[in-house]
Amino acid sequence: MKIIVVISQTQDTEAKIGVASSGDAIDTSAMKWILNPYDEFAIEEALRTKEKFGGEVTLVTMGPARAVEALRTGLAMGADSAVHIKDDNFGLSDNYAIGKVLASEIKKLGEYDLILTGFKIIDQESVQVGIHVAEELGVPHVALVSKIIQLDPDQKKVTCQKEIDGGHVVVEVPLPALITCPDGMNEPRYASLPGIMKAKKKPLKEVGIDDINLSELGLTREALGKDGARVKTTNIRVPQIERKLKIITGKDNPTVKGDEVRESADELLRLLREEAKVI
Amino acid sequence: MSNDVWVVADLKLDGTIRKVTFEALSEARRKLVGKLNGTLCGVLLGSGVSGLAPELGNYGAEKVFVAESDILKDSNPDGYTKALTELINKYEPDIVIAGNTNFTEDYFPRVAGRVQAGLTMDAIDMDLTDDLRLKIQRYSHSSKVISTQEFLDHKPMMTTVRPNSFKPEEDPKTPEIINESIAISPDEIPTRVVEIKTKKSDLPALTEADRVVAGGRGLGSEENFKHIYELAEAFRAAPGATRAAVDAGYCPYDMQIGQTGKAISPSLYVGVAVSGAIQHFSGMGSSKVIVAINKDPDAPIFKKCDYGICGDLFDVLPPLTEEVKKLMAQD
Repeated sequence: MKIIVVISQTQDTEAKIGVASSGDAIDTSAMKWILNPYDEFAIEEALRTKEKFGGEVTLVTMGPARAVEALRTGLAMGADSAVHIKDDNFGLSDNYAIGKVLASEIKKLGEYDLILTGFKIIDQESVQVGIHVAEELGVPHVALVSKIIQLDPDQKKVTCQKEIDGGHVVVEVPLPALITCPDGMNEPRYASLPGIMKAKKKPLKEVGIDDINLSELGLTREALGKDGARVKTTNIRVPQIERKLKIITGKDNPTVKGDEVRESADELLRLLREEAKVI
Repeated sequence: MSNDVWVVADLKLDGTIRKVTFEALSEARRKLVGKLNGTLCGVLLGSGVSGLAPELGNYGAEKVFVAESDILKDSNPDGYTKALTELINKYEPDIVIAGNTNFTEDYFPRVAGRVQAGLTMDAIDMDLTDDLRLKIQRYSHSSKVISTQEFLDHKPMMTTVRPNSFKPEEDPKTPEIINESIAISPDEIPTRVVEIKTKKSDLPALTEADRVVAGGRGLGSEENFKHIYELAEAFRAAPGATRAAVDAGYCPYDMQIGQTGKAISPSLYVGVAVSGAIQHFSGMGSSKVIVAINKDPDAPIFKKCDYGICGDLFDVLPPLTEEVKKLMAQD
């Protein structure tokens, strides 16, 4: 099995998020960058698939120099090799352009059986990139796969359970195919110390922007930057929602006890009905 | 090229139209169609769906495009991709909108790729620039920021919209029905749907619900989650959960709210034994009214809610559920 995992480096959204002075971007000066958490599920699934069927796992990412850290994390988890499409403008590209460039590099890797990627990229909250990659490669995709039920390399097909609104569905697609991975699909392993040491010696190919024939992809240098995208961000703000903070507590204890319990329930419902008017 | 605005109907598994479709039609009519001097159109894709056209008309659709095929009946994303792509290429609408659901997150990016459209997802606001380009707002970075995004001059412009973001408002029209036959050959449909498992529930879907009752790890067990289901039922709310509760196995993943679960914007959110982690707030922080029930007076949620009861859920929930039932029975 040749498995490709498309990964991203994202901003750590658990950290404090501020707006840059330009007003149309996030302040990244003190930002911590991490491997996109959803991509950890994709890497784990790739490693388990390799352990079962043999083969190799190749990571592919696109981003500036710092993105190499995300690749190193994946290599330390156990991936065999990595490709880094490197350009500082890529961080501003739109999803469609990113998908196109990623697909063009994946094509150069030769034949593959399966592509895995995280369901969502957490900083932009984007679910588009993986699906654009599949579209550009002309392979089927299955989104939000909670479980790979059966992978059959001989018959060249995969059966998956995917989450849909109001239930789930079992689908079968021919290989090669792309699968997007949600939270809870598996439990990603941590990179071990020997894994981290080994990762340093694993092949990591760097592809510069000049190595890519953009006009062949219908893209221009500008189309990869901010001004060439199909959609551009013109403003970013931190929403301010004032909350009422009316907390009912007990008289003698922090918590309500005895008769206070029913009184607190009545008071809460009165507030919801008369003040908030939501019931 | 036409100046038309399309709203693609989102269908539930039982074949009825999701509320978000009516919300999108209403907002498109209020904010987009007049300025564009275009026509508001509905799009129905599926099998046996043409009878739903009057419902779209009821919310202002003057035209409804209907494409029916057996291949579309199991919500097969490949079939929808093919059908919507063909319709867009033929009629060249200016703007194409649908509700943000697991299904549109699946097939809309493919369609956008095929018709070379810009696509934004999960918009909470829609408007037009002076030169009539679509401008939307959406949450990002775990809902900590709201970005305004403008489309450049590429057409069509496509977006999905977050459920519960816009007010549905009837504007009855008798729509012109345009039946389109889409020829789909089997080799264009690599995905084979083997089985659909629906959840039997009379409660509203989590992302669309006007009220949500969510439980945290403090519930302690799968069995204790019945308190959440009972309170949800009393409120006629959808039950939800934190990631910690899902990871502990107390309830299924599709109930998870948060950064790695569903994003919701109900009028009323009630968090029971929910600590208020950033992870969870990124999924429900935009709720109109937030209520917290927690026995820990120092729980972070008490600093980010509207109303709260500091008390043990096992003391508070039974009488609260009873009182809610009484109150709702009066209406």
